[in-house]
Amino acid sequence: MSEAALNTCKLLLFGRCVRAVLLSVGVQFLLLTVFLLLINFELFHPLNWIMSSLRLVCSFYTWFACIPLLGAIVFYGMTLSHQHLAERRYWPTRYRWLLHNGPQKLLFLFAHAIVGYLTAWLYTGYLHTDYRHFIFKAYGQDCVNSYHIFLLGMGLCAGAYYFATEYMQEEASIDFDFAEQSRSEKLREVLYATLLKAPMSSVMPTICYTFVFWLFGTFLRYRLSIVLNVDTDDRLLGIVDVITNGRLLFYAWLLGAQIVSNMRLMRCFYAAILSEPLPMTVARHRLSVPGEQELTIVAGLGVFNVYVVQCLAANFLYQEAQRQTSSVRSEIFQLTEPGNRPANWRALCDQCLSILDSFTDELSNSMRKSNVDQPIYSDTSSALLAEKLLLRQYNQLHGIRPVVAPQHAEGPSRDWNTKSTDSIRRVPNWCERTSTKLEELLQEVLHRIPGIVYFFYEPEGAKTEFLLENALPVIWLTQALAQICVASIKEDNYGIVQDDLPAIIKALHRLKCDLDRLANGTPNFRTNSSNFNHLRYAVRRSLYNICISFYKYLGDLTSSGEELRQLQTFVYQG
Amino acid sequence: MASLSNLKEIPSVSSPTSVGHGYNYVPELDQYPKINLKNELINPPANRISISHSFIPVETESVPKRISRTFFDGGFWESLTEARSEKTREQAPVISKAADFIAHMLELYSSFKLKIFPHTQQLSAERIAQYAETRDWINSSVRYIAWHVHVFKLAVAGMDDVVRIYGKTTESHGGIGHVLKSATQTQITCMAWRPLCAFELVVGCSQGLCFWIIDNNLHLGRTINPSYTLKHPSNLPISSLKWSKDGSLLASSSIGDRAILIWHPDSKRVKPLKRLGPPGSLLSWSPNNEWIFAATVDRVFRVWKCHNKWTSDRWVCDGGNVQACCWSPCSRFLLFVNTADPILYRLQFVQLILMKSKADDKEVLPVADLNACSLDSSNQTFIGGTAQQLVWDPHGKYVVITFKSTNSIAIFRTYIQKYDLQISGGYYLNGQSPSEYPSFISFQPLNKDNDRSVLTIGWSTGRIQFYGLD
Repeated sequence: MSEAALNTCKLLLFGRCVRAVLLSVGVQFLLLTVFLLLINFELFHPLNWIMSSLRLVCSFYTWFACIPLLGAIVFYGMTLSHQHLAERRYWPTRYRWLLHNGPQKLLFLFAHAIVGYLTAWLYTGYLHTDYRHFIFKAYGQDCVNSYHIFLLGMGLCAGAYYFATEYMQEEASIDFDFAEQSRSEKLREVLYATLLKAPMSSVMPTICYTFVFWLFGTFLRYRLSIVLNVDTDDRLLGIVDVITNGRLLFYAWLLGAQIVSNMRLMRCFYAAILSEPLPMTVARHRLSVPGEQELTIVAGLGVFNVYVVQCLAANFLYQEAQRQTSSVRSEIFQLTEPGNRPANWRALCDQCLSILDSFTDELSNSMRKSNVDQPIYSDTSSALLAEKLLLRQYNQLHGIRPVVAPQHAEGPSRDWNTKSTDSIRRVPNWCERTSTKLEELLQEVLHRIPGIVYFFYEPEGAKTEFLLENALPVIWLTQALAQICVASIKEDNYGIVQDDLPAIIKALHRLKCDLDRLANGTPNFRTNSSNFNHLRYAVRRSLYNICISFYKYLGDLTSSGEELRQLQTFVYQG
Repeated sequence: MASLSNLKEIPSVSSPTSVGHGYNYVPELDQYPKINLKNELINPPANRISISHSFIPVETESVPKRISRTFFDGGFWESLTEARSEKTREQAPVISKAADFIAHMLELYSSFKLKIFPHTQQLSAERIAQYAETRDWINSSVRYIAWHVHVFKLAVAGMDDVVRIYGKTTESHGGIGHVLKSATQTQITCMAWRPLCAFELVVGCSQGLCFWIIDNNLHLGRTINPSYTLKHPSNLPISSLKWSKDGSLLASSSIGDRAILIWHPDSKRVKPLKRLGPPGSLLSWSPNNEWIFAATVDRVFRVWKCHNKWTSDRWVCDGGNVQACCWSPCSRFLLFVNTADPILYRLQFVQLILMKSKADDKEVLPVADLNACSLDSSNQTFIGGTAQQLVWDPHGKYVVITFKSTNSIAIFRTYIQKYDLQISGGYYLNGQSPSEYPSFISFQPLNKDNDRSVLTIGWSTGRIQFYGLD
């Protein structure tokens, strides 16, 4: 991938991140208005209620007091951008994942905590005087305000809670909309959904925090009073004091809801803005200005280290392939000057096939690795095995006994043993035997130490799962490629696509077979996950699309009779 | 404007082979299955016997015991009815009075709730039938017919809530294939084969969407239950559904919901397209995937632009609601009828480059008069009136219309030009007897095995007829 393309991507994405940060900053005032309207509610003086709340939002105090929170929001936005744009790499063990992602996750946790704390700090400034100050005077002496500490703690807790539920184990991901609506509609929908969901989602963290505060609150206040050289107050000493203070709990719940919805909104803003279609071209125009931001589809697909860009490029191609008339598609089928060569199609096809093939190779390798001791069954045999298994389960369920005694399946290990007994075996000497035994013993001991396996061993099927989770570009690419091939029947005047059809069919068929094998034959694997189903059915539909459109010519497009037979069966029977 | 007065009788049936197999002779149609659903219907809903009916209750059991048994057998409402029955009233008047009081309170509550939230009203079968494309949906043997887009597979839903799949008949095979039946599949209103799949059928019913994926490698245990079911977010029945051209998205509507739901079945996600207005009734995705026509239970209907951020244009009928619609194969024209007047209307989706005006794009034009008229001189057979269903043949040469109150089928000829559509009178088609009427009609799509417009008619008698049009 060229440096220019990378710079163009970076510039485009940076612009989007800045817009998302600005939107996040703007929404703080909306959330503050909602908060003030809720806490200053006056049933009998509605005008006064609304006016006083709006006056508070527009006051100088608010604008100045908001500055730290807005600074924290910008910091949060930067870390969130980093999470979204970071390269997605596979870490085989948890230890290596922790080593690589640990510092970033810690920084992100800190950003959550600081946003939560500063939101709580800002919002408590508008509450009743009992809750407003950190230190208050009681009987002429300065005391730490337990209510204030409780609410500040709630801010920290809500931030940490959101981090733990959304980001701790998972990468920041973007849900690309399958029905892309306008930005205003999308934001309105996000706002409604978040504000409706927030009241319920903050109940659990409030209850948990209340319980934790009852356990450790006294100690915390004592430490704070020592540090600040003030007294402690005698409020919120027991659990009864805490749970009977309705107003405090209401404030805590409201703060929690505000913070959680704030963070959710920021996440959604990022997802909405980053997933907006990225304008791309088929080929770089010769007349374009060197500094102009022009990104080609092929270059976008080649940005392997920024997952979002690859997704956007694949999505752009998919959308253009689906349209009834598309200038992008006709440009793909054009011959380029000089030389009248199909350079556009060549570059696109090569890029797509290289992505598909490398994905299939990685998937096959990961499946082989997770099934070291198991034979790799062919498509039909795995289906037969699954049917046998279903039959056995059905018989067991209905109490049907087999007529003949069950025969144990002969696995590859048995074959190996049989063969080995037939041939002359080399007997290892005592030294080898001892070292092997020692090795086995050591492994056994290591396995028994708690945490060793968890941290230092690769979980079974983890690589496959990782590949399937990040298969969105492949999903769109397969469908786009198939649709372009089908459209070529009418639109490809020079017949440039037909030469590559066998390779495309072969690549799709290979991927389809691997996915079917994964669905049918691999036990202990979550094949019902939506990522897997999405990929599997997209690949199947893409292959079907090509096969049904070029059915008459399948014989010429396939390399072997077996492949032809499989494809013909696939068209009629699935 | 075309009318029904100059329709001719369709060329006579030249090779009536059996009850379910009358057609003008086309050799390919010999391989079509012979279907008469009346003979195949198993256990229609009215005749179904539950397990509790198989056992005679003990006469001597006490009232509380009887009520508790009914509660565990049939639920709360059944037990309340039992507590208010004559027998209980005689044996334990106190209990029946208490039950009366509870029932009265619950009625008060539900009437109060309906006043505040009128949309939470239970959707009865009569209400579903009012907006279904099938004529006399409640009593019709054939409730829906769906052709596979790419290969010869025909799905027929019967009133017994069973979907039967038919293939081509051969010397050794009668054509019947899988039978899809499940307890989660009741009151079928619509169904559609998924494009670009060999065997994936989605059935819209009162429980939601039932997805049947039949992998031919695995016969066993798969047809007992749908592969998966997607429920409407508000647990409402599905009234209409359509797949997108590439089979990646599914649009559905419900007569209890204002929003159209766009499903992404592979990831099991749903996105509602919301607009203020009455609930939706009918959906139709244009063949080129650019637009979705969405009718409502009231005068309003919309056309959603799928490739333009899912924005919509809104129209209002003069009265009634849109009963049926169909797209031209080129997706440039849409025909629809409403329940208020017997007129066939046209909407045009052609982007005029010259002389372009905003009003032209949105103009609804009447193209055919469907007022009832007599087909014979003795004024015994009529055709026309309020239309029930519209289908356009895949070649774009014929539009077929069925009616709510008359039994003949009208076939209009259509001439599609780039910027214009012309309709002229064609033929009419009758059933085997004067009382036989078409319940559901559909055209077989064009594919590699079929290049002819084959009209499929599900008659009220349960027979399915295939009619090859030139």
